[in-house]
Amino acid sequence: MIPEKLRAWSLVVTLGLGLILTACTVPIPSTEDMQAAAEAAPRPELRDVPGIVDPDNTGWPRGVEGLNGVVDIPGQPARIITASIGHDEMAVALVPLERLVAVGAVSKDPTYSNVAGLLTDKPEISRDPETIIAQDPDVIVTSPYFPGEGIDALERVGIPVVQTALQHDPEARLDAILLMGYIFGEEERAAEFTAEVQQRYDDLVAITGTKNPRPAVLALTRYSDQIWVAGEGSTEGSVIEAAGGANAAVDAGISGNQTISLEGVIVMAPETIVIAQPVAFGAEQFKQDLLADPALAEVPAVKTGRIHIVDSKLFTTLSFWNIRGAEELARILWPEDFPNPSPEGFSRTE
Amino acid sequence: MDGQHTLRSFRRLSVGTRLAIGLPVLSALVLATGLVSLRLGPVPINTLDVVWATLSTMGIDGPAVDRTAQLVIEQIRLPRIIVGAAVGMALGLSGTAMQGLFRNPMADPGIIGVSAGGAVGAVTAIAIGLVDLFWLALPAFAFIGAALALLLFYGIAAVGGRISMATLLLAGVAVNAFLGAVISAIIYLLPSEGPLREILYWLAGGLDSRSWDHVRIALPPIAVGAAALALTARDLNLLALGDDEARSLGVRTGATRTALLAASALVTGSAVAVSGSIAFVGLVTPHVLRLVLGPDHRVLMPMSALGGALFVMLADMAARTVIQPAEFRVGVLTAFVGAPFFVFLLIKNKRQVYTL
Repeated sequence: MIPEKLRAWSLVVTLGLGLILTACTVPIPSTEDMQAAAEAAPRPELRDVPGIVDPDNTGWPRGVEGLNGVVDIPGQPARIITASIGHDEMAVALVPLERLVAVGAVSKDPTYSNVAGLLTDKPEISRDPETIIAQDPDVIVTSPYFPGEGIDALERVGIPVVQTALQHDPEARLDAILLMGYIFGEEERAAEFTAEVQQRYDDLVAITGTKNPRPAVLALTRYSDQIWVAGEGSTEGSVIEAAGGANAAVDAGISGNQTISLEGVIVMAPETIVIAQPVAFGAEQFKQDLLADPALAEVPAVKTGRIHIVDSKLFTTLSFWNIRGAEELARILWPEDFPNPSPEGFSRTE
Repeated sequence: MDGQHTLRSFRRLSVGTRLAIGLPVLSALVLATGLVSLRLGPVPINTLDVVWATLSTMGIDGPAVDRTAQLVIEQIRLPRIIVGAAVGMALGLSGTAMQGLFRNPMADPGIIGVSAGGAVGAVTAIAIGLVDLFWLALPAFAFIGAALALLLFYGIAAVGGRISMATLLLAGVAVNAFLGAVISAIIYLLPSEGPLREILYWLAGGLDSRSWDHVRIALPPIAVGAAALALTARDLNLLALGDDEARSLGVRTGATRTALLAASALVTGSAVAVSGSIAFVGLVTPHVLRLVLGPDHRVLMPMSALGGALFVMLADMAARTVIQPAEFRVGVLTAFVGAPFFVFLLIKNKRQVYTL
């Protein structure tokens, strides 16, 4: 009789030897093999993404078409710079933080940035190409607001620069994430993250999309003595629509962000006013002035006190974070439908 | 030819006659523009309500007017129109004074650096975020900037004790260049791009959201400065003959120049403080009126005040209505209209415009 303990040990040793033998006979995949496997597995979600030159090419080098033309990215970038706040917010959700080598000062400022807390230790870049070159990036993704001369200078030193315009409509928002994932070689994470973002949006509009009639909402800000309103095509307007409101400025024929007089506010007769302006920049004073102005006394939002200061960075960003803005506004407009606070952030962004 | 002949005949009339004809005509135009401007805006208000609401604001009782209409007239349109008229008056007067003083038809209120000084003050207030905490900071800083610019200008021009016209002109060029560099430096050093839009809009000049507070800020100093400028009209005529001639006719040239500069700075600084930089009013208005009325400053001064007011009121009316309920910038419109019109005048009246 073999003792019970010995039998157990012999089983462990046999299994261990078996595992070692298996490991010796199954080859470990090399980088090239991984690349080849990726090439062999095209991702269908990339098919209709604007900017991806060949969606079937999931290997390296790969080409993307930005506003500055077709750019070849030679290999998976390890050192990334995304030189605009919207791009920074997306990059944080897509790649490990150590791959983001530097960011603009605005992205580190919690007044404007939804990911400032994650970027405090990052070196700062400016629009001076030299500050960017000094960080030795493998790729730069930036917005149309980056100066063309700066892009030329960066390209001349051999750094691939992809300039893309970020949009606030739901489809373009997902496309932007997929395109950035493709640029960074993070297609899988991008697919996973777009699903998360899409789910958040779908959950919201499943309720807000059914609202009829929609309350007239106006997004106002006041900087020094100019009152600004967000009209058709504005990011704030898209947030209002997603939250189940009707942008009163669109009905008044206002396109983009325009200055108006108080008389304009009277004419648009909003039922709710949102002030998408940082408190540090006078949002509370603006609210009090609106409430106290006798000329506005008959405006429904003023009459009922429905003037809300909202987190401006959720309403003005061109990244997926404006879904959070819409979630917040939906809770203001439809409190009975959204009794619980919305989730604070998104995966990898908190 | 007929038009030219009529103009020449008009210019030969006595000062009193020209004023007797010109003042009522321009005053009526200013009044009519004010009334039309009160009638126009995003909130539809019928003419009778406009009239009664305006009279009610002035303390004259009449039939009851819709509350919203009353408040729109009283709190929004009327103060804005008054500020616009005051700003136009200030710029028209100051432009006339500067062109007369410098004997240069290219001179305008900006030539002594006061406008640029006001801009530096306003840009500073915006850049450091003071305007978001305290609305009065913007006009206050603009006014202080304008005053400091005048001191700088005068300090440079008066080096050596004697102030010549050439020194004044060069001092103005230097001060403007320096203050322009200060504005560029402030913009370049902004920690974020947030205030940039505010600065750009302020620099473009506008009258949006003007209130009775702005009327109270601007009107008293503009009235004082305008009165001072009106009193120097005769001396300005004599200065055009040359310093020696003016002195022999009893003009204290140094004191007169100082008074003219101080009064111009006061009205320009006050205007800039409540409206930003509104271009071309101070340049074009005296030009146009000089062509019609001749170069006598006793006629030109009061008429430029009214002409400037009319110009700004018309531009503001357009700014409020062309893309309503959104607004355009008044300073952009005055430049759009003023610059081509100015070129047209230069080409059409090559000889006359250079006759001061």
